[in-house]
Amino acid sequence: MIEDDIYRTSSQFRLWSYTESSLKSLRTKTNHIASERVRAALRRARERHASSTPSATGTPQTGSDVEEKDIECLTPEEELVLVRYYCEKTVELGETYRPPLPTNVRVSLPTTGFTQRLEPFFLRGQPKLTSITYQATAIQYLRRFYLTNSPMTYHPKSIMACALFLATKTDNYYMSLRQFAEGIPGDTTADDVIAPEFLLMQGLRFTFDVRHPFRSLEGGVMELSAIAQGQAKPAPHLPHHTPESLKQGLLSIAPPPVPSTSITDRIGRAHGATRELLKSAAQMTDAYFLYTPSQIWLAALLLADRPLAEFYLDTKLGGPIDPTAMETEPSNLQNPLYDLRTKLLQVLTDCGALLQSYTPLSSDPDQMKILKRIAKKLYHCQNPEKVNLKRDSAVPRSTPAIDAGAVTSESETERLAKKRKLEMEQKQRGAHDMFGPELVLDRTRH
Amino acid sequence: MALSPFASRSPSVTVASPSSALRLKAAATHHAPGQAVTAKSDPNPERELTEQLNDDVRRKYVKGKKLGEGTYAIVYLGHFRDDPSSCVAIKKIKVNAEYKDGLTMDAIREVKYLQELSHRNVIALHDVFSSKDQNLNLVLEFLPGGDLEMLIKDGDIHYGVGDVKAWMGMLARGVWFCHENFVLHRDIKPNNLLIAADGEVKLADFGLARSFADPYLNMTHQVITRWYRPPELLFGAKQYSGAVDVWSMGMVFAELLLRVPLLAGMSDLDQISKICEAFGTPTEENWPGVTQLANYVTDKAVPLRGREFFLQQFPTAGPVGADLLMSMCVLDPRKRATALQVLQHKWWATEPRPTKNEDLPRKSGTKKMGDDLARRGGETDDGPFKNAARQLDFGGMK
Repeated sequence: MIEDDIYRTSSQFRLWSYTESSLKSLRTKTNHIASERVRAALRRARERHASSTPSATGTPQTGSDVEEKDIECLTPEEELVLVRYYCEKTVELGETYRPPLPTNVRVSLPTTGFTQRLEPFFLRGQPKLTSITYQATAIQYLRRFYLTNSPMTYHPKSIMACALFLATKTDNYYMSLRQFAEGIPGDTTADDVIAPEFLLMQGLRFTFDVRHPFRSLEGGVMELSAIAQGQAKPAPHLPHHTPESLKQGLLSIAPPPVPSTSITDRIGRAHGATRELLKSAAQMTDAYFLYTPSQIWLAALLLADRPLAEFYLDTKLGGPIDPTAMETEPSNLQNPLYDLRTKLLQVLTDCGALLQSYTPLSSDPDQMKILKRIAKKLYHCQNPEKVNLKRDSAVPRSTPAIDAGAVTSESETERLAKKRKLEMEQKQRGAHDMFGPELVLDRTRH
Repeated sequence: MALSPFASRSPSVTVASPSSALRLKAAATHHAPGQAVTAKSDPNPERELTEQLNDDVRRKYVKGKKLGEGTYAIVYLGHFRDDPSSCVAIKKIKVNAEYKDGLTMDAIREVKYLQELSHRNVIALHDVFSSKDQNLNLVLEFLPGGDLEMLIKDGDIHYGVGDVKAWMGMLARGVWFCHENFVLHRDIKPNNLLIAADGEVKLADFGLARSFADPYLNMTHQVITRWYRPPELLFGAKQYSGAVDVWSMGMVFAELLLRVPLLAGMSDLDQISKICEAFGTPTEENWPGVTQLANYVTDKAVPLRGREFFLQQFPTAGPVGADLLMSMCVLDPRKRATALQVLQHKWWATEPRPTKNEDLPRKSGTKKMGDDLARRGGETDDGPFKNAARQLDFGGMK
């Protein structure tokens, strides 16, 4: 199976595919290292603060003990919720750049005789295809970046725009940085966008290719449409299939979850529903880390229209029991691919369950409440030495990066330490119930 | 998908230097999923996990002497820390102060596609790491044998049709593999075809590469060095396929046979008229839709050339070889051979057999190479992808 061999050489498989347990332990490890560093950085900040204002700290010993306890770091689960929220935000931001459509779509250009027959499906899917792909790439960049980086070290809001911009470059939807920055709501400058680029690329381990399930979905839908029109190309290893028998098979599958007027209509609906899942649930869950692109779109199709998806699999793998085969050749009763089919269906069911588990954060008040709590918590455990990415990245061009953080952001550290102290005092006065959360949210949304 | 007809599935295993190449392969491609990210160094709370991983990669190599320098990159000779006999080329990409938009597009493209393409006839990217001054370092396969352009131009080197067949076979396998991975190279020409120590030809310079566009989405036509650029791009087609690379391959084939570029146009217009003179004028009859292309122009009506023309022009290729060349130079890209069809052509199986790698002509060792890195890549600099030279120069290595 050369296609599988090729996939196994992809960076997505080599570097970005995990089992559930390896994914979990990696996130735990990242969180652990980042927490240690946050605590150390805050300790350093306090020490500097203490030495610069010796009179303010009456009994330093007990004072630092109290603060030490207060540095409560995010858990890996909390980090994940936060990253997911900013992935949703990335989609919103990406919508800003929806490309102007080629108004004059020419069909007879050289070399693209490509599937003119099935054009309606393409045109239906087409308008959003580019923007989806690069937004999805940006989301996967964020998700990959935060496997080995913590939001406590680099706040997602400072990485998000850069991920989207990098995706425009790597996905051939390039616009100038200036143009890109102008499109961002708020006062984000071009420098803000580009500052973490190198950091991001390093976190991506310099692999920019993301294999999405979108294109294979288009291919599968084209195949189904061809079958519906009696123009199927039967699989060579299933010789008893003919274009006509496949067409009849397709027409006689169990009814769809939502009634449809025709088989074309049914395929169209399944196509749309699957695309929606690929755009949302597939992006916001760990699907890309755990499954291959084909597994993801097939799982989504199963959720959208189970009989249709099973029929499609049967055209490749043979059904559990094939009635036509029974009539002509009893020995075909035993489908040699049956084991494979069973195994695949199990994987697809697992993947489908993962996709189904997703609900958008912003539409769920309970989840938003949790998110607010996490955002507030993060405010207190953000690594002060990594706050200013612009300076972090501008300086290391001439000086080694390792020292740069500590050297350059000293004043920033102090500023944050002061601020934290102020807030702490506020907290002790019992004012935080009314004003605390609002302030924190204001900052994260800025 | 059909099974691979010819491609070797072992990426970049060179015969002459098994010690290094085999090791590299093991290091570069044999990751099991799930163990993908495991920093080897002891967990050090003073370093981010990402930084630790990067350090692990960087420490695998030792950077040696400078091989060449250009506006785009500096190339160093390097080797594996634990095996000084293994050679690699370390290409350090300079941060371009004039380019404010972060990493340049050609660097992004080169890294993106070489990370994915692992094949004997595509230059291998073993690793990428950053050095502490935020420079990107690409650890590339070391290819000391020069490039095909040097061999073509070197009057002291004699080669025959068996040699051409061997080189073309390696080129066609590399291009086929790119297309099979949905990647267009878009700058195939003799000086982008580098030669390994064992004589193997490797497709290099992916600074203009991109993946196939989705149907109806536009691509730029300002790609491929003019002499190797197909008529559809000269006419301004925004949607095109792997056929553009096949045309370039045809031009390389012709150049290998003639030892001069077949169609050396002085301008884009001149290039079009040279194509018309050589193969015939594109018309609605021989290429439906061509007159709709944005920049379609013709000045003279030359009838399409038939087989006799190719036989006459390229007698050394033999009738079957001329036939193959003709299939690569079809004006209408839809009728042009695909890379797979090129590989399936019967020329490969006719006499003479392709020369074995060890018997292929080599560059004469004393020849001093120019500093390739200072050279600009392609002739497409007027396009939106102004690029400094991306070529690698291994010439400093004796």
